Amino acid sequence: MVVLRRIGGALPTLFAVSLLVFLFVDLIPGDPAQILAGPTASNEEIESIRKFLGLNEPLLTRYGHFVRGIWDPAAATSFRTHRPVVVELAERLPNTLIVSIGGLAIGVLVGTLAGIVSAMRPGGAADAAITVLTLAGISMPIYWLGLLCIWLFAVNLGWLPAAGASTPLHFVLPILVIATRPAAMFSRLVAASLTEAMGKDYLDTARAKGLSETRVVLAHALRNSLIAAVSVAGVQFGGMLGGSVVTETVFGIPGVGRLLVDAVSRADYPVIQYAILMFAVFFVLINLVTDLLTQWLDPRTRDQERPA
Amino acid sequence: MRSLRHSCTVAALVAGLSLATAQAFAQPAGVLRVAVGADPATFDPAFNDLPVGNAVDLAVLEGLYRLDLQNNAQKNLATDSSFSPDGKVFTVKIKTGRTFSNGDPLNAEAVAASFNRMLDEKTGSIYRGLYASLGTIKAVGEDTVEFHLAEPNGHILMLLANTAASIVNVKALKEMGAEYGRKPVGSGPYMVERFVGGEGFRLVPNPKYAGDYPATLKAIDFSVVPEDGSRMALMETGAADIVERVPPESIEAINALKSAKVVTPPSMFSINMEMVLRGPLADPRVRKALNLAIDRDGIAKGVLGGLGTPSVGMVGPGTQDELRKTFPLIQFDPEGAKKLLAEAGYKPGQLALSFTCPTGRYIKDVQVCQALAGSFENVGIKATPLVVDRGTWTKVVGMEPAQRTDNMGMVGRATAGMDYTLYRLFFTGVGANRTGYSNPRVDGLLKEGRATTDPARQKEIYGEIQEIVWKDQPFLFLWYQTQAIGVANRVQGFAVQPNETLVFDRVTLK
Repeated sequence: MVVLRRIGGALPTLFAVSLLVFLFVDLIPGDPAQILAGPTASNEEIESIRKFLGLNEPLLTRYGHFVRGIWDPAAATSFRTHRPVVVELAERLPNTLIVSIGGLAIGVLVGTLAGIVSAMRPGGAADAAITVLTLAGISMPIYWLGLLCIWLFAVNLGWLPAAGASTPLHFVLPILVIATRPAAMFSRLVAASLTEAMGKDYLDTARAKGLSETRVVLAHALRNSLIAAVSVAGVQFGGMLGGSVVTETVFGIPGVGRLLVDAVSRADYPVIQYAILMFAVFFVLINLVTDLLTQWLDPRTRDQERPA
Repeated sequence: MRSLRHSCTVAALVAGLSLATAQAFAQPAGVLRVAVGADPATFDPAFNDLPVGNAVDLAVLEGLYRLDLQNNAQKNLATDSSFSPDGKVFTVKIKTGRTFSNGDPLNAEAVAASFNRMLDEKTGSIYRGLYASLGTIKAVGEDTVEFHLAEPNGHILMLLANTAASIVNVKALKEMGAEYGRKPVGSGPYMVERFVGGEGFRLVPNPKYAGDYPATLKAIDFSVVPEDGSRMALMETGAADIVERVPPESIEAINALKSAKVVTPPSMFSINMEMVLRGPLADPRVRKALNLAIDRDGIAKGVLGGLGTPSVGMVGPGTQDELRKTFPLIQFDPEGAKKLLAEAGYKPGQLALSFTCPTGRYIKDVQVCQALAGSFENVGIKATPLVVDRGTWTKVVGMEPAQRTDNMGMVGRATAGMDYTLYRLFFTGVGANRTGYSNPRVDGLLKEGRATTDPARQKEIYGEIQEIVWKDQPFLFLWYQTQAIGVANRVQGFAVQPNETLVFDRVTLK
């Protein structure tokens, strides 16, 4: 019921996004017909292509066509390839999801472990090393880190392929690179939450029951610390989808991010519009999943959802 | 008897070995790995606009004619051609018994259908305008195709030799729809076996090919890697045999490898600053002053890292060289420029000019713009470079001269032949003439040149046109691009056309 209510509540947001995406893309400088026709084309040729693409139609008609394309693939085709945009997106999406979900999973795992280690021995050598690494992880631009990793692991050591997506090995470097930021964020977040939770009375009760310190941390303190982390994970995942543009370009991965970059440079309006709309739907879904997870972890938030 | 038996055994052994050797030579061997920078979204020749797409079309499809490495039109499917006495019908005889890779016959009817499809408004081809002069195409019997021309065109071979005029299988296209763009059914030596959007594609030999350029490789694997550094890493790690678009800063690193070298074939891409011929630039003295203010050699070596040759003519090398005319390099002469500006009535600091440049469209375009601004400032012109994104740049340089608020725009051109290039740029009032250039003598010559089929007369006409344009200086003539391609030592017989199309006809691997 909650899920249905939340999805219903997201519909106006998605309508607003569709309208904004449509209008903003229309405002991008450059005429798709002119770009397709090339710099030597005459006005008549450009006009003929514009007519073929339906760009001369009134704004409202084109918006109607755009909305129809959401459920009718035949109405939403790429200006460049003439294939349905949904097919183009479906072909690229798995690669984007592999990198994003893989990066998030590794980031969460490594970050959580590092956070626990930091919180168990605050001020120790491990904590200091983790602090330095997390600072580096947060401040290093993904683009730069990607090129450094290619130089080290592909060119010099020859352990991993430099670019492409034809084998599982091709995904190792991009996933590791994209995992650095969430790992760094989680490490700081988990360490701070755990340190705060360690002084709470309910942990003393747990300790008094004779549980080991590791058990106290993992079974009692960590669950509460993860509540804030889940919200951050949602935001991070959304950010990683957006950041796929950079990662996919550096590592030559054929994902939605690359598709979007190409579409923008060639003013392929339908691809830009539907790709952004798809990202918006993802953001809404991620928010929903994050909220549900938070409610599961923290029963108090569930109470708030009950009608008065 | 024994000697006879011995002779027979030797003969049999020799024959067997010869057969085995012949078979070894006949069978394509090895997989060539090519890393390209741009993503060819489609191989449909009616829509493809990238050199990598041209390379695939050249390997997978066939045209009536094809360009050789000097951009001369050579017969391919065509065996003979002739104009009607009034020059309105161009007849081409084609080879018989040829088929597409799916077994469909490639006869006159298939050829006519392919051209008529491109010229059909409903197809929406980006080349319809370029080929509009072909008029209507009719099949006569199995082996004759007639082009009923919309207007006499003495440059038709150049049009037919372009990969945009490759013969597509219209029947297969109707069945496959937009997917045809990924796996075109052609009659060339190779077929597209696999296409993964944004990642790469693989070409394999077409067993039904019966032409003069049979496949020499077991497969050609293309990977699409847009980031320069990552693409160069593929060459350095030996994961690619050929890498396209080596940036100037990586040439040294690739040349230092034991396994590969950078080749730098010429490109017909001519990069210029096209002036809007009104206001101060309506005065030929100002245009000449701007051309004198530029240190072309310095830009080619210092900014372009050697990947450019200073311009010595309106069109780039390889643009129908038999009709191309070159002139002495415009010398760098800032003092002469200042003198001419003073003659035109401009004191230092009085003339202000702005010019539009793209970002990342041409090699070091932004840096060249900054260098040009410095050169103009040097001769007392207030210069404002407007460096904009590709979309804005396309819009600005495509505007009518009257709508422009800037004075010049950087544009590179590499088009199919002399007539097409010059007519569109310099004939008075044509929709693609974005400078507003108008010269009655040039107009007359352009019309005459288009209708002339006599090569000697064409040479005279286009020589005069190029001389007038070079003298009028409607452009700030800059440089011809040089291609830089990393090629592994194990690759033999690789070639590149001046229009930047990679040619795999004779490639073998050591």
